Amino acid sequence: MIPPNYFLILSIILFVLGVIAFFIKKDLLTMFMAVEVMLNATNLAFLSLARSANSIDGQVIVFFIITVAASEAAVGLAIILLVLRQKKTIKTEDIKLMKG
Amino acid sequence: MNSFFALFPLLIIVFIALAVLILEVFLKRENRDYLAYISLVFLVICAFVCIQFWNKAYYYFDGNLLLDQFALFFTFILLLSTGFVVLLSMKYISLQDVNYGEFYALLLLAVSGAIIMVSSPDLLVIILGLEVLSISSYALTGLKRKDELSSEAAIKYFLLGSFATAFLLFGLALLYGASHSTGIPTIIRYFNTEADLSLMALIGLGLIVIGFGFKIALVPFHMWTPDVYQGAPTPITAFFSVVPKAACFAIFLRIFYPFWKTAFDSQAIFWLLWGISVLTMVVGNLVALRQTNVKRILAYSSIAHAGYLLVALLAQDNSSLVFYLTVYLFMNMGAFAAVIALSKKDKEYLELEDYSGIGFKYPWIGVTLSIFLLSLAGFPPTGGFLAKFYVFSSAVRQGLVPLVIIGVLASLISVYYYLRIIVHMYMREPSREVDIVVENPALFLVLFLCLYGVLQLGLYPRNILVLINQAVSLL
Repeated sequence: MIPPNYFLILSIILFVLGVIAFFIKKDLLTMFMAVEVMLNATNLAFLSLARSANSIDGQVIVFFIITVAASEAAVGLAIILLVLRQKKTIKTEDIKLMKG
Repeated sequence: MNSFFALFPLLIIVFIALAVLILEVFLKRENRDYLAYISLVFLVICAFVCIQFWNKAYYYFDGNLLLDQFALFFTFILLLSTGFVVLLSMKYISLQDVNYGEFYALLLLAVSGAIIMVSSPDLLVIILGLEVLSISSYALTGLKRKDELSSEAAIKYFLLGSFATAFLLFGLALLYGASHSTGIPTIIRYFNTEADLSLMALIGLGLIVIGFGFKIALVPFHMWTPDVYQGAPTPITAFFSVVPKAACFAIFLRIFYPFWKTAFDSQAIFWLLWGISVLTMVVGNLVALRQTNVKRILAYSSIAHAGYLLVALLAQDNSSLVFYLTVYLFMNMGAFAAVIALSKKDKEYLELEDYSGIGFKYPWIGVTLSIFLLSLAGFPPTGGFLAKFYVFSSAVRQGLVPLVIIGVLASLISVYYYLRIIVHMYMREPSREVDIVVENPALFLVLFLCLYGVLQLGLYPRNILVLINQAVSLL
């Protein structure tokens, strides 16, 4: 059997990849997908940690995170659509009315 | 006491949010004001329930929902600021064409998330509450659908907000892996008893700090703040500047106050927060100097105030932190109320130039805005002065002298940009034509209540301090 720790390491790699993708991608949808990758990495981390701790809590938490990701997607995609309709583009370099 | 009464405040808010959503369908567009009245009435009822529950300490769901005095005090703060926001929006949303029933429903759902946050000792429930708050906030930011600034603000807030959520959840995963629990008391006990801490737990705690730092807008996680504050409808900006901050600082208190007392040597976390606090105070105030948009000035000012609040957290002085938050609620809401007053149909006056000569043309707005700005800068006899005084003096008692010196210097810098607005109002000739809608009784009620709050807390803070001390003694 594969030890649960391997999955934890995999989830950390996935999370870091998500963070990197969030910063280097120049497209709203891809950035949003990077966030989803990070959330799913979190799910994997919870599952592997629950397995190695022999407790059921972590597996239940995964369901909550899936719900969070779904509701975020609902609102987020609506907002991306709103931007697309106004500016006809979802490239980050075109979204610069305000400078943080 | 284990009782389903603990659910009441939340149930009232969520029920009325959904009821508003349904009622909206049956109301004509010009009668939408009723939704505001209904929301206000139930906010007041909910606040009344909180007062009734003050000494009861009801809990439910195995203690995962816990209405102790700490939670009740914060719930009260959240309800009060939401009430102010509802009053501020009544005229605003019809003038600026965001008159949708969803406005009040989303506002109430957002505050229900904040209430979940402050009334749970379990990190998972806290983060879920934060999500309810955040997701409603994203939608509220983009509610000016025809305004490009508003949707740009919404997309920035959404992307960075969900990025922060992922950090929070991953941090929680690591903490769960180390301590096998998501409850704050168990996690603290783990830090307290474990002889050799795993790196995993420390990284987890660091990620949690980063995630909340995004939501509170601490430097260097503040990039979204000015843009979101500028683009969002102004009453919503006022909401963002108080409610998420108050809720997240309540969580910081719940996590870090017992944490300082643990056997575990918490130097790493302490210096992390120390650095963030210095950066937040210095950067927030310095960047505010070269802003010309009043909403952006207030955004950077709210960043800087988060830095002062962190000083209170590092000084381990709960009651002055909560006092600062209470004062901050009144002075910030008041300042935003004055900014909202300067608007007319489909137009808001937000540039500094627009404020030239306002002080003599609209004396009430001029005087009250000046008092709120002086309070934000920390002049006596306002509440802002006392709040800063308490925070900095308890930090000196804890031996954090360098931090206090930086903080005092930073707040000296802040005097410049607050006074700049006042100088524009009173000492410049009017350069642009500004005419505003004056009949707005709800807004003047907010101005008056905030003025009362700022002066009452500055001159006679004893009663509220007694309540705050009761509330934080439980931590």
